[in-house]
Amino acid sequence: MQIYRGERTVARIASCPAADPYGTVDNMRIGIPRALSYYRYYPFLKTVIEGMDGEVVLSPSTRKSLLEKGAYQCVDDICVPVKVYFGHVLDLMEKADCLLISRLVSVEKSNCDTYTCPKMIGLPDMVRHSMEEAPKIIEHIVDLQNGSWKSSIKGIAKALGASPSVTRKAYREAMEVQSSYEKLLLAGQTPESAIEHVLNPHGAAAQDGEHSAPNSKKEHAVHKDGQIKIALIGHEYLIHDAYVSHSLPDKLRSQGVDLIYSSQVTPEAINQELGKHPEISWSFEKELLGAAYHFQGREDIDGVMLLMCFACGPDSIVGEMISREFYRSEGPAFTTMVIDEHTGEAGVATRVEAFVDLIRRSSVRL
Amino acid sequence: MKITFPHMGNSYIALSALTGSLGAEVIVPPRPTRQTIDLGALHAPEFVCLPFKVNMGDNIRALEMGSDTLAMVSGMWACRFGYYGRLQHQILRDAGYEFDSILLGRDDLRVVYNKFRSTAKGNLTLAWARAFRLFRLKAITVDCIETRARAVMPFEKERGTTTRKMKEGLSMVHAASSIDEVKKARASAVDLLDNIDLEKTGEKPLQIAIVGEIYTVLEPAINFDIERRLGEKGILVHPVMSVYKWLFRPLKVDPSITVSERRARKIAKPYVPYVLGGEEHQTITGTIDASRKGYDGVIHLYPFTCMPENICRSILPKLESKYDMPLLNLCLDEHASPTGIETRLEAFVDLLKQRRKKPHAPS
Ligand code: SF4
Ligand code: SF4
Repeated sequence: MQIYRGERTVARIASCPAADPYGTVDNMRIGIPRALSYYRYYPFLKTVIEGMDGEVVLSPSTRKSLLEKGAYQCVDDICVPVKVYFGHVLDLMEKADCLLISRLVSVEKSNCDTYTCPKMIGLPDMVRHSMEEAPKIIEHIVDLQNGSWKSSIKGIAKALGASPSVTRKAYREAMEVQSSYEKLLLAGQTPESAIEHVLNPHGAAAQDGEHSAPNSKKEHAVHKDGQIKIALIGHEYLIHDAYVSHSLPDKLRSQGVDLIYSSQVTPEAINQELGKHPEISWSFEKELLGAAYHFQGREDIDGVMLLMCFACGPDSIVGEMISREFYRSEGPAFTTMVIDEHTGEAGVATRVEAFVDLIRRSSVRL
Repeated sequence: MKITFPHMGNSYIALSALTGSLGAEVIVPPRPTRQTIDLGALHAPEFVCLPFKVNMGDNIRALEMGSDTLAMVSGMWACRFGYYGRLQHQILRDAGYEFDSILLGRDDLRVVYNKFRSTAKGNLTLAWARAFRLFRLKAITVDCIETRARAVMPFEKERGTTTRKMKEGLSMVHAASSIDEVKKARASAVDLLDNIDLEKTGEKPLQIAIVGEIYTVLEPAINFDIERRLGEKGILVHPVMSVYKWLFRPLKVDPSITVSERRARKIAKPYVPYVLGGEEHQTITGTIDASRKGYDGVIHLYPFTCMPENICRSILPKLESKYDMPLLNLCLDEHASPTGIETRLEAFVDLLKQRRKKPHAPS
């Protein structure tokens, strides 16, 4: 527990990032773990790296062996997403020359302190110092309170020996790709399909039609009889990691649920909701809180499900705030689901069925 | 105003002095016990960190004793602690308790300052100045008594004497209501400790540093009174943090605290270059310092799922081998048992004794 961390001290520390000897290798293979910040920034990072003539190696999707290895490497009581992250790191050790690890210190510029979760701030430190043979690490430091988005790619540029003009060009392209990616997320695509879309436009376009996001705008309009609409709130690296969440979104859909994600709430709507409530410094949790308030006030939503993981620090606080808000006032039906690496598939399925049942029954009664 | 605040070690002595001199009636809940934790856990979010649950229990106890104002520090930090007060007070209100909140750090300082306008006698500014002087003196005095007790305990002839005398001394300090009285109480407390019968064995005692999350380091009810357990095994204990340092660090009135904090950040920088919102720098630096000072081991305490200390715990094994410094991690939650802790402590102490016998070549 620490009190009164002023901005000044943060700035002082942040201004001198840990020195890391980068060797410049031709055609360097840079590994990106398919976990945590991957879901937010992969299109940006991949475009930047390729724009600087680097090669990106992505770990496969999470699976049993991978999570087991990760959990073995980690402290017992740390959250699943970090265990998953370590699994992906271990997977990449042989396949890549070095790893790109995001250090998300603050992801929004604001006049009060903003942070992400401490584990995301200390992620590179954990990887660097807890493995017997630490991989070579390139840090992607995002600290928007003290620097810009552009400066976050300094480490990559240095490692790949990119000139300022190449860096500028790569950055510009990456920002464009990233912004179309974010638009797709807002429109309801899952990260995986949106990534495919923006990074591989031709391949994706060919398959369009059959592979378009299941809840794109068109389908929204058709609110079929008996179909209910559920909002799913939670960290994207939990919801969309099919192994960890036991394909929760698919399970909901197979019950005839029209699904909307918290990532589909616009930043404007979130800010508008948050304006009415006390401020929080965790940017990602703010999104969850804002999205929850937003869904609460929407007539077309029948139920809200909050997905959290056990041992998540920010969720333990913000999840409670959200639950209390829902229990206190009228609004859509609400439930929370807490998962960890021991959660069984059957457990998730049962909870989904029970929740959908509850909503169906109460709507019949109305 | 019947004010209360959660326990953390002996911080209640200084905090009672501060609020008491401002004219508030101070309600000090009983020291936390198993029941307090259960009571708090009943109302707290399921997987929140342990200190939250204990604080919550303290608050409920105090409310049941008639308290009408809950005080807590609060703010916007990277870790959960900044949200404790806000969420706890919300939960208690939802549970039907009625009270006034003082959230220091979140509320404007002026609001907190003015809260005491009706209770303080005479000029408010002068009352604050007087209260602050007493607050600081008591905090320093408590620190001094604790330090002295720690130094004496391993050598006491009859086990338990030091703890008894220390408690006696602390209650004298708690009862003192003016600067002069505190000074007198301090002198007698020191006297008590200095006159304990000692047993000189001529052997150099083992020395152990205690690092980790601040609440678990400082709250005996949570760490199963680890200082006493070790002290009575004849071990010199060195916690890296103290209540005094914790209370005064944010106030920036004691340069020695600021300097040590800055030094800790510098030394820990190769391992944790950024602020994580907990005691990460003190934990890392405390471990490195333990080796520099020639201590025999380090005990790392933290509550289950504590975020900054989880990160430290991932890093500490590296320091353990790099500095050849034996390390014991104790992760505490509401289910931890005293026997479990005792067994692990004994095994650790045995290990340290073995190492003493056959000195290792430092790597
Ligand atoms: S926000 Fe929660 S789940 Fe994500 S890394 Fe932090 S503790 Fe883990
Ligand atoms: S430092 Fe640990 S115990 Fe304290 S608030 Fe943070 S997670 Fe909880």
